[in-house]
Amino acid sequence: MQMEAKQGWLASRVPGLGCACGLMREARPPGQPWFNALPVLLGVLLAVLLASGAVVTVYYNPWHAYDSLQGIAREVRGGWVVLGYHQIGASLAFALLYLHLFRTLLTGGYRAPAEFAWMLWVKLLAVLLLTGWLGFVLNGGAGGYWSLMNAGNAAVRLNGFPGAVAMWFLGGPPGGSTFARLLVLHVLLALCAVLVIWMACAAAKKARPMPQGRAVPFWPVYASQYFAALAALALVFALLLGFAPHWGLGGQNAIPAGDMAVPVAISYPWYLTPAAGLAGAFHGVAGHIWAVIAAALLLYALPWLDRSRRHRPGRLYRAFIWLLGLDVLALGVVTAFPMGSLLPALFTFWFFFHFLVLTPLVTMLEAV
Amino acid sequence: MMRRFFAPLLAAGLLAGVAAHAEDTLSPLRFQSSGAFGSIDLAAAQRGFAVYQGACASCHGMNGLHYRDLEALGLTPEQVAGIAGSVKLADGSAATPDSRFKQPALVNMGGAVPPDLSTIVAQRPGGTRYIYDFLTGFGPAPAGMKLLPGHNYNAAFPGGQVSMPAVLRDNAVTYADGTKATTAQEAADVAEFLTWASEPNLSARHAVGLRAVIFFAFLTIVAVLTKRRIWRQEG
Ligand code: HEC
Repeated sequence: MQMEAKQGWLASRVPGLGCACGLMREARPPGQPWFNALPVLLGVLLAVLLASGAVVTVYYNPWHAYDSLQGIAREVRGGWVVLGYHQIGASLAFALLYLHLFRTLLTGGYRAPAEFAWMLWVKLLAVLLLTGWLGFVLNGGAGGYWSLMNAGNAAVRLNGFPGAVAMWFLGGPPGGSTFARLLVLHVLLALCAVLVIWMACAAAKKARPMPQGRAVPFWPVYASQYFAALAALALVFALLLGFAPHWGLGGQNAIPAGDMAVPVAISYPWYLTPAAGLAGAFHGVAGHIWAVIAAALLLYALPWLDRSRRHRPGRLYRAFIWLLGLDVLALGVVTAFPMGSLLPALFTFWFFFHFLVLTPLVTMLEAV
Repeated sequence: MMRRFFAPLLAAGLLAGVAAHAEDTLSPLRFQSSGAFGSIDLAAAQRGFAVYQGACASCHGMNGLHYRDLEALGLTPEQVAGIAGSVKLADGSAATPDSRFKQPALVNMGGAVPPDLSTIVAQRPGGTRYIYDFLTGFGPAPAGMKLLPGHNYNAAFPGGQVSMPAVLRDNAVTYADGTKATTAQEAADVAEFLTWASEPNLSARHAVGLRAVIFFAFLTIVAVLTKRRIWRQEG
């Protein structure tokens, strides 16, 4: 009873809301780095994406995807700004998520007791990648169209259960009705992303050790830090929106789907390129699909592939994490600017080699 | 900036009239719309529309635009109504300001179809500059180059040969503002017009972007300083 009175009137009636209010009074260890604000910034970006996405969906027409987006940019008052919010919001959300994952790897933040939080962050990446790909296709540009054609052609060659799922997903050969389906999935997945990020934050909070010794209140100490981080994010957002709205989004999508013959290589938005490169390094439909699934499973399994018991990762291990970061970056670059099939294969090999061989080996060595 | 002056005339919008001359943006070539702080040169874009209407509209549509959109280039509603009224749609009726730009009858030049030009600047790397280079890139093929049937040499086009003929020449249109209609001037003007067509909000985007960047830069500095003060006291 006393506990309840402390948490306040609202908290005793609506646990979730009470949680949000409680956050303001929560005590935390002092001196936490800026990077800890990343999940909150990511949440803000998801909110921006949902709000702008809601407006875009109102005017979007799956049967005339490219033209309806042109209409939003040209005819709807402020439509070009809303589209900009959506595109740049997506770009920055991926940037922050990649950064957060990289930092979690670097600090060993995925180790017990934070395994579950880590798996949820990986799940968020998977959900966002799929949502991002759907958004890329829904643009109605040539790049997205040919990517969808590839996926559709692949789907008809699958049989059994995977084939059934794929057909259910695409609803037959690509056309307006496919886009209508993909739109629904795009929206549903975006809502899933909100759920996943909420769960990930909750899990991360549970995994955080109780502050030992001196603790400081969230308000105003961390509130001021988060606010400054948010202002910096808004600055980057404004820079991109004003001066580089199409940066890294893949030029082919500016061309209407019908106007371009089969491209030699599809130009993906930058945030899809590492995954696309990974899939492309393997042959055949099954190869593409299994490559991506295997990569995701490895990320999930990382807390168990890591054999160390210590909390801080060692020097050598951190060096390899840096190398992995560069490897993923390079994989994205060689996918965006194709230069033969050797480099993507090499970088993909390194990705798997890192998790399957280097991680257990190096952490074991450093544990002794 | 020079005064903008536009007089819609009969037929395909061939323009005549006298007013101020355009300043020289051809040597060296520069586009007011280029760069981070660029804005659409409305006078050039108006002339560019005249070029489009006179020299390109017979083959290329611009389905993304309505005639009323031209008001954003500084034309009055009456001028726009005049332009639209002089366009005969496929069913024989005259266009209105609310009509989309007239779709030309489908031209098929040896398998190549003229692309819609509404977003062509966004579609091609180098956008505005590429359009200019493309339109001024026609000429005799270099010795030893074999042109495919129905193709013309073009230095800017990937592969060097294109099925579009060279359509711009000196005085292909007469400008209402008295600017000398050289081939290069026409190419630069239509490139600016197509840049506007691809992104009608370009000027607004740069203006709003600049203000937002200044505001958030200021806010970021204040927020970081505040955070530091709080952390010194409490952190
Ligand atoms: C006689 C018909 C005709 C006229 C008039 C014409 N074009 Fe074209 N244009 C074409 C055709 C056909 C193509 C397609 C060429 C190809 O893909 O080989 C084309 C292609 C283009 C392209 C795309 C080039 C590329 O990189 O793919 C641009 C830009 C263009 N035209 C601009 C113009 C402009 C501006 C004008 C007016 C000054 C104009 N055209 C007048 C027929 C025409």
